[in-house]
Amino acid sequence: MTAIAEAAVAPAVTRGPRANSPWRRLLRDKPAVLAAAFLLLVVAAAILAPWIAPTDPYANNMRLRLKPPGGDFLLGTDSQGRSMITRMLFGLRATLVIGLTAVAMGGFVGATLGILAAFYRRLDNVIMRVVDVLLSFPSILFGLALAAVLGPGLDSLVAALSVAAVPTVARISRGAATQVMQQDFMEAGRAIGLSDFALITRYLARNCISTVLVYLTLQLGQTILLGAALSFLGLGAQPPAAELGSMAAEGRRYLSFAPHAATVPSAAIFLIVLAFNVLGDALRDAFDPKLRH
Amino acid sequence: MLLIGFLLLQVVPTDPATVLAGPTATPAEVQALRESMGLDKPVWLQFVLYLGRVLQFDLGRSMISNTAVIEEIGNTIGPTIELMLASLVWAVPLGILLGTLAAVRRGQLLDRVIMAFSVAGVSMPIFWFGLILIQYVGTALELLPFQGRGGPLWSLDGLRHIVLPAVTLGGVFVGPVARMTRTALLDVLGADYVRTARAKGVAEGSVVMHHALRNAMIPIVTLVGLQIGFLLGGAVVTETMFAWPGVGRMAVGAITSADFPLAQGAILILAVSFIAINILVDVLYAMLDPRIARR
Repeated sequence: MTAIAEAAVAPAVTRGPRANSPWRRLLRDKPAVLAAAFLLLVVAAAILAPWIAPTDPYANNMRLRLKPPGGDFLLGTDSQGRSMITRMLFGLRATLVIGLTAVAMGGFVGATLGILAAFYRRLDNVIMRVVDVLLSFPSILFGLALAAVLGPGLDSLVAALSVAAVPTVARISRGAATQVMQQDFMEAGRAIGLSDFALITRYLARNCISTVLVYLTLQLGQTILLGAALSFLGLGAQPPAAELGSMAAEGRRYLSFAPHAATVPSAAIFLIVLAFNVLGDALRDAFDPKLRH
Repeated sequence: MLLIGFLLLQVVPTDPATVLAGPTATPAEVQALRESMGLDKPVWLQFVLYLGRVLQFDLGRSMISNTAVIEEIGNTIGPTIELMLASLVWAVPLGILLGTLAAVRRGQLLDRVIMAFSVAGVSMPIFWFGLILIQYVGTALELLPFQGRGGPLWSLDGLRHIVLPAVTLGGVFVGPVARMTRTALLDVLGADYVRTARAKGVAEGSVVMHHALRNAMIPIVTLVGLQIGFLLGGAVVTETMFAWPGVGRMAVGAITSADFPLAQGAILILAVSFIAINILVDVLYAMLDPRIARR
């Protein structure tokens, strides 16, 4: 929901005339390059977590509980005496998997709806009306409702996050697809007798995909943020699972004497979402020059 | 939403009658309770009856405290509205101010600093912002309380209690408002009537305040209105963190303790109030844009 509002609010940057290729423009954007590098590091750490983590994420040791950062434990230990750095590596993994799954599912449904709305004008009104209702609805309510129906847990969390991603993606892909529809090659494809299915998959979808992918980067940040909030409320990942939002919720109880237990996972979420937002903004600026001011 | 709320009670794996009757009840007692609750009737009839009860403001009883759900909602809706207003009242003006400054100083250092803050604000998990406030202002410095509501707003204790939750909830709202204001204002600053105003020698401050910002207010109000859902979501988290006795905290508590009628009622009221806010924004929109009101 926020992504679309911000979509129109790209920071104004003026660049030289030589910066014609989108990738070159992107490479000049230092914050974006930094964000991309950081995200690569995060993804690598998440994938490699089982091999690089110094300890077992679930092995507790009550004698070592809530140790401050430094010493044997780089980021300290949590209330069960588990190493925070290990928990964080596994938490990154869970958070990213949840976010990617939800954005992939919501993105697929949303893009399909948006492209169909652009292709079949008769469907346009119906689909976009539904999308508008969904779009205006607070995504956290989906989270609450699904957690109530399915019971709090990963299934309801991913389902809620996917539903929340659908309307934004549908709007973006409808916009992109409407522009592609006006191209001559669509007419040409129809003239040589291609079926609707072939027209949509070969011509239409392929030409929208880059725009949609750019927006999915922004959406991923929002999705991770929402997922972390729901997990923080106890409606997502359940303890003892290592997930950044629920780790922050657990650490919150020891805020007064062991603030690192809540700060480490919270800061990790902040940095990841920030990186996705900075990178998403930059990608949009580079690939969608029409939206730049 | 009504249907979703109703289905909620249908798909729960536990039989409400069994839960209510307690572990020592005989099957006959459970059956009697089931009949008195209307659970033996077909599902469609139950939905019709449910709709009828909702229209009469009968949302059932909490399975845990056995108080009427409507009564629980009546007790919690006030604090939620109070918290949202207390957040908006400072966050929206500050956001508009920052956005205006950024638009006027477009491309300069001030613009970049404000926009960087805005991106950071959008990326901030609301609970972390709240935790930082609790940790420093609440626990370390002991300046302000951070648990519960201190009473009515006109009492000193009430004011002291609302500061931290309102700063938390408003805090995540400043960034988006600033971004929207900046965009809306940049659009308007390029308009012909702004050029005319400048050409006839109106002072720059007056151009921004009277000619540009007034016209930019229309998209700003719309966009801020669209973000109200976002604020409602933030309220759920903020209330839970600060033990603020609002609907959001009640909803989360009801879901985690599997109190289905209460969860159903709370989600319903959150959805209804969201729709009500949207209508309110439309009215406000008409007031700001005389072209709409006349239509």
